[in-house]
Amino acid sequence: MEHLLAPLVGDASPVTVIGLCKNAGKTTAMRRLMAELGGERLALTSVGRDGESTDLVTGTEKPDLYVKAGDLFATARGMLSLCDPTLEVVGLTDVMTPLGPVAVLRALSDGYVQLAGPSAAGQLPPLTRTFLELGAQRVLIDGAAGRKSLAGAGVEGVALLCTGASLDRDMELVVAETAHTCWLFGRKPPEEPRLRQALDGLEARFALFTPEGEPLELPLDETGSPRWSKLPRQPLAVWAAGGVMDPLLKTLARRGAPTTLIAADATHVLAGRAALDLFLRNGGELRVRRKLTIAAVAANPWSAYGWHFEAEKFVQALRQALDLPVVNVKEA
Amino acid sequence: MKLTLELRENAGLQWVLERLSPLSPFGRTAVRELPWYGPGTEAALEEELDNVALAMRLWNAGSTRPQEEPDCSCGPAELTPADLQDAAAALRGVTKQLPLFHDIRGSFDRDPGVPFDLVELFEIKHFLVTFERLEQAYAAMPPLSGIVFPSLAEALELMDTDGRRLPTFTIANCYHNDLAPLRAEKAKLEKAIRMTQEEKRGPLLEKRRQLAVQEDQLELIVRQELTGRLMVWKERFLSCMETLGRLDLIVAKAKLALRFGCVRPALSGDKSITLRGVRHPQVEEDLNNRGERFTPLDLDLSKGCTVITGANMGGKTVSLRSTVLSLLLCQCGFFVFAQSARLPLFDRVELILADSGPGAGGLSSFGKEVHLLDKLLQETRDQFFFVALDEFARGTNPQEGAALARALVRHLGSQDCVALMTTHYDGVSDVAGAHYQVAGLVRDIQGDEGDDPRKRIARRMDYRLLPAPPGAPCPRDALRVCRLLKLDDSLMELFQADL
Repeated sequence: MEHLLAPLVGDASPVTVIGLCKNAGKTTAMRRLMAELGGERLALTSVGRDGESTDLVTGTEKPDLYVKAGDLFATARGMLSLCDPTLEVVGLTDVMTPLGPVAVLRALSDGYVQLAGPSAAGQLPPLTRTFLELGAQRVLIDGAAGRKSLAGAGVEGVALLCTGASLDRDMELVVAETAHTCWLFGRKPPEEPRLRQALDGLEARFALFTPEGEPLELPLDETGSPRWSKLPRQPLAVWAAGGVMDPLLKTLARRGAPTTLIAADATHVLAGRAALDLFLRNGGELRVRRKLTIAAVAANPWSAYGWHFEAEKFVQALRQALDLPVVNVKEA
Repeated sequence: MKLTLELRENAGLQWVLERLSPLSPFGRTAVRELPWYGPGTEAALEEELDNVALAMRLWNAGSTRPQEEPDCSCGPAELTPADLQDAAAALRGVTKQLPLFHDIRGSFDRDPGVPFDLVELFEIKHFLVTFERLEQAYAAMPPLSGIVFPSLAEALELMDTDGRRLPTFTIANCYHNDLAPLRAEKAKLEKAIRMTQEEKRGPLLEKRRQLAVQEDQLELIVRQELTGRLMVWKERFLSCMETLGRLDLIVAKAKLALRFGCVRPALSGDKSITLRGVRHPQVEEDLNNRGERFTPLDLDLSKGCTVITGANMGGKTVSLRSTVLSLLLCQCGFFVFAQSARLPLFDRVELILADSGPGAGGLSSFGKEVHLLDKLLQETRDQFFFVALDEFARGTNPQEGAALARALVRHLGSQDCVALMTTHYDGVSDVAGAHYQVAGLVRDIQGDEGDDPRKRIARRMDYRLLPAPPGAPCPRDALRVCRLLKLDDSLMELFQADL
């Protein structure tokens, strides 16, 4: 088999496969990656299966993965009856899901497995460590689909972004959305070392700094929320720990002085493209505390809803809009 | 007797229980279901206290900075220093295993016909492997009385067929004769699938699916058989987990006693209570946080009703709570917060506070008091009980209130009980069996007007309880206390003029 994805992810672990929408070809990419990494002892789990559990129940789709003997995987106890390799239970995590606690298993033979791992991003790092202790050489995570649920993707290792015709009938819009997500993942930490130091371990919801990293007092109202209208008219760096939404960007855009907005990471920026454009046009700059890495973009020209794009045209359009490698996982 | 939440909260028992640190789910259950050692169970209680004493000794010997040998007045066989160190290490070995247990009681609550799933079997094996390690450590220490584990060796053998004690579980080939050949065939097929191009795998995958289904069916048979055999030992498993809970609780009690310098209560043969240097740890902690100190109290109570009088803010209620807490702890098999304690066992211990807060069910504070008292008297007809009453009948007019309080003291004197009551009413102590008075605002101090009023009162107050003659009048300190609390001047003037 031609190695399409393996060279792009290199030695990174874990690799999180995320989708821009449902049916973006996540499972295809995952299968492809597993096949290409066939020589390694893999460990698999998933995050955020909210949409897919319906399919599992109705049986319309069976996004199962074929593992090889020796691979590890973590899935909810209730999923075990749907896994057909000879199994060895090697541990039980304290992660609870609607389908029972998440167990860690070793496949003693090849076979199909169904993944239903932790749904909170914070539960993944301990699980990844468990996998490595058990001898896994690389961890693959079947990540979430949909831009609003990417949290945690690529916190460690790299992400593989799947995009496709299922997002919208309009190819230009799909390309633009993909480019936007890639642009967000491309945001870097602030260059000023003192500012980076000040952000390290910061737990406040919001904080205010000079561009050089000097802390400033953030004016608050009676309820403790920031009074953005009272910010000093000078270049400022604003830290926002939670999700960054449209209103914050619009407020900061209009305040009349350049603002560097620092989010925790790219997945915390939930604002739409329009608000972000407004912010950037008014001299704003977007930075992140933690850089996330997209290793490659996997394109799926087929949608689950009846329409599809011309494969070559779609891939070309993506390549033109992105600085990242783009592959059509079905082409080979 | 049932330890209601209200009683636990009012006495401060809840505070103590929150500071217990059981390590296993079974220990946490044991804390929720504390046994009550009533009259007639003296031997069992002494046994439990012996256990706590032994655990204290071993835990202390095993800590990096051991305290002086705690005086446990217990008699496990004499241990040489070397033996003591070994035993201490063994106890640490036991407590190292306790947090590793998962609660698998739910798994055993089933119809034996419903097979355990793979994760449940894993959990059972994990339990058995952990339990074996704990048992080995436990065997190396002097045994705690009553802590005897049923043997689960057979179950472990069943679940750990290769004897490697690995913390993993799989349905091994040895469980069923057909498994090995089937799995070998399947493996061969899987190898063939790997060698075949993706488009041509269809028929092979179908064949594999059939084998996988057969394997699943065999595994089901094995799981059913294992379940049947394991369920035979259900009682042993459950009793084992219950015993683990008791062991865990003993160690938690010992650690608590070491941390707070608690003392082993002695059981009194007669129906009297002797407390020396008794403390209330919750109040003590609160005082320490404010930079003040708790004054330990001495109390001798015998059958009948003892009355405490004294200034407001003189610690009368705290003395009630300390006494009740000591009794509750002792009768639950704990060491008590005192320098020494000699206590009888009661069928029932009750604390009736005048103001029981919301949820009084439409009763006023007076109504609630009377209701609680009546309920207690009804329920303890043939029982030996203890009751502490905080300013009984203060919520009604003073004339009737005092008469009711006197009547109650007289009535309790004729009952099979020990009672302790605080009051501000004169004439109540006349009819009591004994009378204590808070030493009160005895110290004359000037020049600290700017300080926290609580501190100013504390500085002037001698909180000790001193025996007083029956009928000694209640102190008149309300005016001074109000002054120290900085009550409004014009109001104070009117108050003073009216006295």
